[in-house]
Amino acid sequence: MGQEKGYLALVLHAHLPFIKHPEYPDFLEEDWFYEAMVETYIPLLNVFENLTAEGTDFRLTMSLTPPLCNMMEDPLLIERFRHYLNQRVELSGKEIERTKNTEFYDVAKMYYDKFRRYQDLFENRYHGHVLTGFKKFQDMGKLEIITCCATHGYLPLMVHKESVHAQIKTAVNDYRLRFGRSPRGIWLAECAYNPGDDKFLREQGIRFFFTESHGVLHGTPRPKYGIYAPVYCPQTGVAAFARDMESAQQVWSAESGYPGDPRYREFYRDLGYDLPYDYIKPYLHSDGIRRNIGMKYHKITGKVALDQKQPYNPRDAREVAATHAGNFMFNRQKQIEYLSTLVDRKPLVVSMYDAELYGHWWYEGIEFLEYLFKKIYHDQKDIKLITPMEYLEMYPENQMVQPSMSSWGDKGYHDVWLNSGNDWIYRHLIKSAERMVELTNKFPHANGLLKRALNQLARELVLMQSSDWAFLMTTGTAKEYSTKRTKDHVKRFNELYEQIQGNRIDEKYVYDLEQRDSIFQDIDYNVYSTAEKDAVLAKY
Amino acid sequence: MTQHLSSTALVRNGVKDLHAEADIPSGYGKTESYLLPKDPSWMFLFWEITPETINYVRNQYGSDTLAEARTIIRLHDVTGVEAFNGSNALKHYDMPVIFEARSWYINAPEAGHAYIADIGYLTENGLFILVTRSNMIALPPGKVSDIIDDKWMIVEADFQKLLKLAGADYIGLGASERMQVVDQRWKLTELPNSYLPSSSVNSSWSSFALHTAKNEQDEDIWLQADAEIIIYGSASKNAIVTINGKEVQLKDGKFSFRQHLSAGDVIDMPIHARNAKGDKTRHITIKALREQGK
Repeated sequence: MGQEKGYLALVLHAHLPFIKHPEYPDFLEEDWFYEAMVETYIPLLNVFENLTAEGTDFRLTMSLTPPLCNMMEDPLLIERFRHYLNQRVELSGKEIERTKNTEFYDVAKMYYDKFRRYQDLFENRYHGHVLTGFKKFQDMGKLEIITCCATHGYLPLMVHKESVHAQIKTAVNDYRLRFGRSPRGIWLAECAYNPGDDKFLREQGIRFFFTESHGVLHGTPRPKYGIYAPVYCPQTGVAAFARDMESAQQVWSAESGYPGDPRYREFYRDLGYDLPYDYIKPYLHSDGIRRNIGMKYHKITGKVALDQKQPYNPRDAREVAATHAGNFMFNRQKQIEYLSTLVDRKPLVVSMYDAELYGHWWYEGIEFLEYLFKKIYHDQKDIKLITPMEYLEMYPENQMVQPSMSSWGDKGYHDVWLNSGNDWIYRHLIKSAERMVELTNKFPHANGLLKRALNQLARELVLMQSSDWAFLMTTGTAKEYSTKRTKDHVKRFNELYEQIQGNRIDEKYVYDLEQRDSIFQDIDYNVYSTAEKDAVLAKY
Repeated sequence: MTQHLSSTALVRNGVKDLHAEADIPSGYGKTESYLLPKDPSWMFLFWEITPETINYVRNQYGSDTLAEARTIIRLHDVTGVEAFNGSNALKHYDMPVIFEARSWYINAPEAGHAYIADIGYLTENGLFILVTRSNMIALPPGKVSDIIDDKWMIVEADFQKLLKLAGADYIGLGASERMQVVDQRWKLTELPNSYLPSSSVNSSWSSFALHTAKNEQDEDIWLQADAEIIIYGSASKNAIVTINGKEVQLKDGKFSFRQHLSAGDVIDMPIHARNAKGDKTRHITIKALREQGK
């Protein structure tokens, strides 16, 4: 233990639902993945590469959810992403010529340089497999990669505990495949925790998870250190780390949050709309409709109309990001200094964010992180970055507290995923889970086509359970797509279920679904066995 | 609202999604019910009751008994009850419901308690006839525990400071801001129609600020209240009923309709019923307003 007064654990949650449509040559929602790759995931790897090259040590905890990992390793999506990236390089190359001697030259050049750099990393360093990059930094001890529920399933709304067990076990198996070891931590989807679910975590060797502040604050008995130290779940000893609101607000707050600075990049003014149609058309989707293409030349400027936005200056924006990083660090120093007067150990502040906030939404967020890592390492000695496991090794003795049911969604519980706009889905999600369990118990040793059908049945169920669909129904964005996805998986599940029950499995149908809903190639439907679930519950 | 482009617009070369058309079943032909937690004070109950079950109960108890019975949800408080047998709950609460509603939001009498919901008939002489029983759920306490751990004591004043620092007074509020920002990242595909280069569109972040200001969040005092209105009723069996101009399905002459009330919403819901010929009508209007003052 050094002279530092306390610790900061930065946690990024990287997730996208499994979206892959081989049945279409070109599919709009797949863009979510390509955009996040080029704006968040590869830029983060670039930061790790830079820091390592210059000798700046850092610690970061990051979830890479199983659907995201599956997409990152999917040959079709890799190929399509390669095309997406090539197009960005090509367009930004043309743009350098077009903007010569204009006020947009600097920003055009910025895009070109970045896209070239990301392309170089993607192709030459990671050979198309960005997970090898993340794995590298995990193996170096700088990055702690944690898993998530298999398809970001919302555990507290699952009635059949076999479903909870299946979400966890399938995720852990997938993690082992990708990273060559077992995960030590998990990000419960939406930080949604239900007392007792920690038994299924413990069974898979998971040592810690995260909750929203009140998950621990409302725990029983009351937590001595509030949210500034982990607690252990009483029956299992799995550690719960609670989210710090103060540092969360600093980034998220509408009034004072960093991303609103007028010198930062304006999200809504996009070249997809600004450039002449014939010039931009090759970079649009095949339907030729103007949409965002991810290159934006303007800054937020202020409360003005989109056509009044001023040109973006990359150097100014970088400076602001550096200032914000300094401000964030200063506030953590003060916070930890004050906390250390209240508690009799070195306090821990856990700052948790969606990874895609950085880069995709808050464009300069990536630079902010890079500056933050550098400043914490070089400029001060009050606080240190830490991973949850390092903190547990330092303080192995922690209070036993049963965390409260909670989530990080609006109002702190399940409202976002259970309300009048999406409650209809649970009739189907729960029935499908019941049927999955029924068939698993009926055919514990299936072979051949029956086994394939049961495994595919399990894939349809976990895909149906992605919390993203209920979320998107609530927010109203992509409501049509999320409704269709839910119904598609329910329908495919029911069809397969009937085929299996009727002993008339259609090999072509199974094959078709295996190609489309291809997540978890190695899934084992026996994760839905009641005996397995009961054994876990009896153990703890 | 933007026509969200997904499977439709990008279909080319005659590629047809074989799965696109068919819909999913409304039920699974089995009498059962499930209870889900929503927050410390609300639960969601949904059920399916088949005609076979109704017939069975009718044969058991007689049509006359059922005709005069009320249909209810009986909510059992089973906190600390090891094995619930239908009569060993700490308390129970009855609320009228129509079976055809198929789901209901139930206000929990006490946070932190465990519940099981029964659905059935309550006869005139007080007999409860069970039709379906839900699973059990335990709700979160929604507050800081009163239980203090001897081994992990802390000075009360310091603990209060820790609570304040942790934002214990604002539980759940920051999350709504977060959700709106996260939501932005899904919005990309909808921009064609919302992208209007006019003075009405400000920077995303500033309009976002305006939006969240509705929470009336302040350092000293904040208030948040939302409502969901359930309109339910019945009409002559063959009547055609509309709510706000939209026809609603009658099931055995009954209907229900749920509407969320957001900030600044005014709900003015004219309900009309007319007979099949269209020469006789009845009207009722339900009004609600969510008004925000300072």
